[in-house]
Amino acid sequence: MSLHLGIDTGGTFTDFMLYDEEQRSLKAWKVLSTPGDPTAAVITGLQQVADPGQISSVRLGTTVATNALLERRGARVAYLATRGFRDVPFIQRGNRRSHYDLSWVKPKPFCLRRHAFEVTERVDHTGAVIVPLDVKAVRRLARHLAETGEVEAVAVNLLFSFLRPDHELAIRDIFAEEAPDLPVSLSYEIDPRWKEDQRAMTTLADAYVKPLVGQQVRSFRARVVEAGVTGRIALMKSNGSEMSTEAAEAQPVNLAVSGPTGGVTAAKHLAAVKSIDNLVTLDIGGTSTDVSVVVEGRERFTDDYELEFGIPLRVPMIDIRTIGAGGGSIAWIDKVGGLHVGPESAGANPGPACYGFGGTRPTVTDANLVLGRIDPQSFLGGKMTLDAAAARAAIETVAAPHGWSVEQAALAILRIMNNNMVGALRAVLIEQGFDPRQFTLMTFGGAGSLHVCDLMHEANIPLGIVPNHPGQFSAYGFTMADARSDRRRSTLLSSRDFDLARANAVLADLSREVLEDLHKQGHDSGIELRRSMQMRYLGQNYELEVPLTVDRFTAEGMEAIWRDFHDRFEERYRFHLPDEPIEMVDMGCTAIAHMPKPELPRLPVAAGPAEPDATRMVTFEEGCLPTPVFKRHALAAGHGFDGPALVEEDVSVTVVRPGFRLEVDVYGNLVISAGKTANKGA
Amino acid sequence: MRFAANGFYVESYDKCCNCGVLLYRRDAAIERDKGGLVCGKWCLQWAENGAQDVAASSGAADRASYRGKTDVVDLKILDGNLASICRDMGVTVMRTAYSPIFSESLDFTCGLFDASGAMIAVGDFCPSMIGGMPLIVQAIVDEYPVETLEEGDVIVHNDPYRGGMHTPEHTFLKPIFRQGALVGFAGAIGHIGEIGGMVPGSFFAEATEAFSEGLRIPPVRIKRAGQDCPDVWKMMLANVRTPRANYGDYRALIAAVDLGERRLLELVERYGASGFAGAAADLLDYSEARMRAEIADIPDGRYAFEDMMEDDGVEARALPIRTAVHVGGNEAVVDFNGTAPQARGPMNTPLSVPQAAAFNAFLQITDFTIPKNAGCFRPIRVLVPPGCLLNVEFPAPSVGGNTECHPRIVYTVLGALAQAVPDRVPAADGGTWSNFLFGGTDPRTGEYYTSYDLHTVGWGGRNGADGNDAVSSMNGNCRTIPVEVYETRYPWLVEDWSLVPDSGGAGEFRGGLGMQKTILCRADEVVVSHVGDRQQVAPWGLNGGGVAALAATRFKLAGSEDWNDARETYGKVSPSKFANVVVRAGDRVHIAMPGGGGWGDPARRPPETVVDDVLDGYLSREAAQSAYGVAVPVPEKPGSA
Repeated sequence: MSLHLGIDTGGTFTDFMLYDEEQRSLKAWKVLSTPGDPTAAVITGLQQVADPGQISSVRLGTTVATNALLERRGARVAYLATRGFRDVPFIQRGNRRSHYDLSWVKPKPFCLRRHAFEVTERVDHTGAVIVPLDVKAVRRLARHLAETGEVEAVAVNLLFSFLRPDHELAIRDIFAEEAPDLPVSLSYEIDPRWKEDQRAMTTLADAYVKPLVGQQVRSFRARVVEAGVTGRIALMKSNGSEMSTEAAEAQPVNLAVSGPTGGVTAAKHLAAVKSIDNLVTLDIGGTSTDVSVVVEGRERFTDDYELEFGIPLRVPMIDIRTIGAGGGSIAWIDKVGGLHVGPESAGANPGPACYGFGGTRPTVTDANLVLGRIDPQSFLGGKMTLDAAAARAAIETVAAPHGWSVEQAALAILRIMNNNMVGALRAVLIEQGFDPRQFTLMTFGGAGSLHVCDLMHEANIPLGIVPNHPGQFSAYGFTMADARSDRRRSTLLSSRDFDLARANAVLADLSREVLEDLHKQGHDSGIELRRSMQMRYLGQNYELEVPLTVDRFTAEGMEAIWRDFHDRFEERYRFHLPDEPIEMVDMGCTAIAHMPKPELPRLPVAAGPAEPDATRMVTFEEGCLPTPVFKRHALAAGHGFDGPALVEEDVSVTVVRPGFRLEVDVYGNLVISAGKTANKGA
Repeated sequence: MRFAANGFYVESYDKCCNCGVLLYRRDAAIERDKGGLVCGKWCLQWAENGAQDVAASSGAADRASYRGKTDVVDLKILDGNLASICRDMGVTVMRTAYSPIFSESLDFTCGLFDASGAMIAVGDFCPSMIGGMPLIVQAIVDEYPVETLEEGDVIVHNDPYRGGMHTPEHTFLKPIFRQGALVGFAGAIGHIGEIGGMVPGSFFAEATEAFSEGLRIPPVRIKRAGQDCPDVWKMMLANVRTPRANYGDYRALIAAVDLGERRLLELVERYGASGFAGAAADLLDYSEARMRAEIADIPDGRYAFEDMMEDDGVEARALPIRTAVHVGGNEAVVDFNGTAPQARGPMNTPLSVPQAAAFNAFLQITDFTIPKNAGCFRPIRVLVPPGCLLNVEFPAPSVGGNTECHPRIVYTVLGALAQAVPDRVPAADGGTWSNFLFGGTDPRTGEYYTSYDLHTVGWGGRNGADGNDAVSSMNGNCRTIPVEVYETRYPWLVEDWSLVPDSGGAGEFRGGLGMQKTILCRADEVVVSHVGDRQQVAPWGLNGGGVAALAATRFKLAGSEDWNDARETYGKVSPSKFANVVVRAGDRVHIAMPGGGGWGDPARRPPETVVDDVLDGYLSREAAQSAYGVAVPVPEKPGSA
């Protein structure tokens, strides 16, 4: 039982990564996904494992919840709200997606208004019950819903349930008796925090995907067991950790943003191995790019996320920002000759012009192809041949109006694309008060390594890394995921009259809840507990997170906590308000059961200089240059060369610009530095 | 504009009698033979000869294509970098400000300006300020010549008679120097929630003079060479009800211009000062060319439309807003001649409001990827006679005009343009905010609190889609405050927070629904003011679509069973604009917002869609029958708890 398997389900491919603890070896492979049956590819891929009985853990990253939400293929949901408030998810917050788009259609919540019901009850902002729950009416409604079969799941969101959950709990119990087949999602369990609109959407999303996720998870589990796996079977959560299949069924909304988390987990591990403190990760795909940061060895978390405009999902997740730019982003010319790239994307179908699926509009991938950076013969390890003529013809459409050559136009497209990326990257860093110069850029996914040098150059980042298996990096991250439970609760307290007893009671509750959550999933020992507070100056509306270093509040300890907040505010915004009262909004607890991390296999040390496999003409800003092409699998530890150069592997190409240097470290990572005199990376 | 000889106060605000712009330098103006001043030759010609061929008058046919030295790729990159600086400035304001009107409702924006004060980029925050900022900054630059400025200065300004939009809108502007030379400005503008005056929240709906609308601040330095000017801080904070919150808001806006300065300097470093100035000028030309290309696609002609504000809070008399949009070649003139004269009450606006609103209307129907800067506004001239409702003269009041007139002006201009580009224009949106302001003393802390609530309306139906429900009017992009936050902070219990059935105008594509709320007072007393509209004149439909339902603001006093408006309950002149009403424990207030107008003949709406509307409660059975002729039977078993 020494094998750990990570599986990342994607729309086109399902990626596999197997780590053998005894052999200290890694094996990566890909299987074509089957539309409509995500488990099919899993079972096909499992056949690559000689003895499934040796698998100690399988961890699956699934998009079933995400896709159901995005494509609106979930269940018919009944929404139960406090009397007077059934329209909260319909009204939302009143802002619009764009100032200047009169064709915009406001998104609908995950239920029909005819299925939004009100129950007589009311709790006020102190937690006092001012109208008791009309139990009889709830019972009638539950019976009615059970009899008619109008809905398949129930979401309950009562005002101030984060202060007093009694009425939500009572409704759950009534439904358990009267409508036992209807799954019920409670806002108190999913997101016990203030701002009822965000809680509403999150709770609705949970109920919306529950029947479908339940069915898929049970099928996945059964078929994996049938294939001979006796080890632990788990799913990936949006916070980058794993959870049991039962936990996923109980609260499926936690799956929603789990897809891209594996890459961040793997990046964090690699950063630790290489003693890199600060990392910014960039995963460039066909239609979108994910950006995330690791600061002082830790990933950042958030729960400020919108699935689409107006649909917030407030679940704990790794802070990954997605921008709508990728290899498929389309270049176009406006009425006066201005060149733009995106936001429209050719997606996978028709895809870039060079795919030969009928696309005629020029994309970023087409630009990379005509510049010689991608070899039309070896795309996806030779599984697909690209149509270079089609790419040229497409680029010509934006070149001709300016009298540019195709190469000039392609370079222009890349410059704009890279600038869009750097904008996103800088926004992520600068918004959080970080200096890009103190970061290392790690790129993975299909297209990231094509742009790594350009982005380092534009964003002023001195060091870049293209890790091993960039195409299966997320699956790799899954093999080492911890189990983690996060819980936050709104608890408004002020520095003017800090209520120690209440604060300590909430903190104790939260610790108990996260420990219980992990306990239910079989994790009992070696658990790390972290506590934190969301604080702001009284009157502000956004908080800063302040880690709590003690396990309970004491009167003597408060001064240090307030001072810590002032310092963090100053560091972040370059000013602070020393005499102002401070407000504490949410308290949070996180329990982590750490999992063993794979020991990275080492490459043999190079005996001589790296030998290029071929040389071809590649166009850079500096001109069209003969460029050596190296095969990644032929590189050994200690190899190094200056740009221009390309390193090809099955799923991606690393472009080393003139003026940059690439070194292969002992694990086989490609370490890129700006300037030929840069220190050797190891 | 003429200052007193001592330089400390203004003796007269001179304006161009054709376009209405404030004339800072009298020597640059032209005196007409018939008397009166105009700002330049174009206005002289228009004033002498009346409306004429717009394209011929401009001589700008060649400016519809971009011919600058900076190549289009570099322009795109420059614009992206400038926009990201503005965005980061805005995030700083949002995250550090105290007033919920900033942090939740995003009623602010941030911009960057070149050394002449022309706006080169602006953050995508409050739309009314995006179009209003150019005039405000121009006024500051006119009043502070370069040689009077030092590195580290920050100027504050809110004067509606010098480019401002209304007194709550405060602009903070910081000149940016590199090696001793001015390279540009960073600006942040935001709606400060309380600035003194007659009522908590400063929206004195019954004002007849500016002096009751809060503290008016001409352009003055709040920081000088990097140091706070304590005299100015003390003066400003002594004249407001909530100095602690105001202090926090001012600091947030200053932090934003400081960030803008740092980031712009980094950018200028990459170009060199003259390289940057050249590229920025080209960016403005490029935006101008984009807008001209859009206007060139609008058929030439004169398109007129009118709507009205129902009253001004002081007199019960409707105030028409009339516009004639002249489109010729690649230019447009938006002429507001014929609009009602200046009102006695505070529904007037300064010139920056109709300017911003006219720009806003054009941005709504043109390519939204055009970079927003002073360049894209060049091809649109806005003419507003001085002394009319939309170009207020000192010292007439104006606090309500910016919020309530702006959306009406946008849709009046759009209504005119609907004749030219019918498929791009929806029916009218609800077009009001029912600004609900209140304040009192917090019994827990003894501190004064004030709040400013906004409410959302239905959008009009459009070709291809129903109007959206419960969305901001066109001049803001504001988020409402969640009920749980509201009740925690303020002494109200919200009893209802819902969509108003039947509020959308009937149509093939019906109007969206407005929202409504009912609140119960839980404090001994709360002082309430209100500025709204659309309680007597409904939002219009288009192409045969019906009008939307009206807004309403009503009271039910403790112990009474009846709902009455402010006229009946408190003896006010207007149901939608009233001030300083004392609401006591147990009293209730109900605010209902209008929907949007309908688009197209209601008979063309598919009956099954009408049935769905009834099942989902957007439409009553009665309205389905009367407006659409569709009978929807009552189900045997109602599915409600």
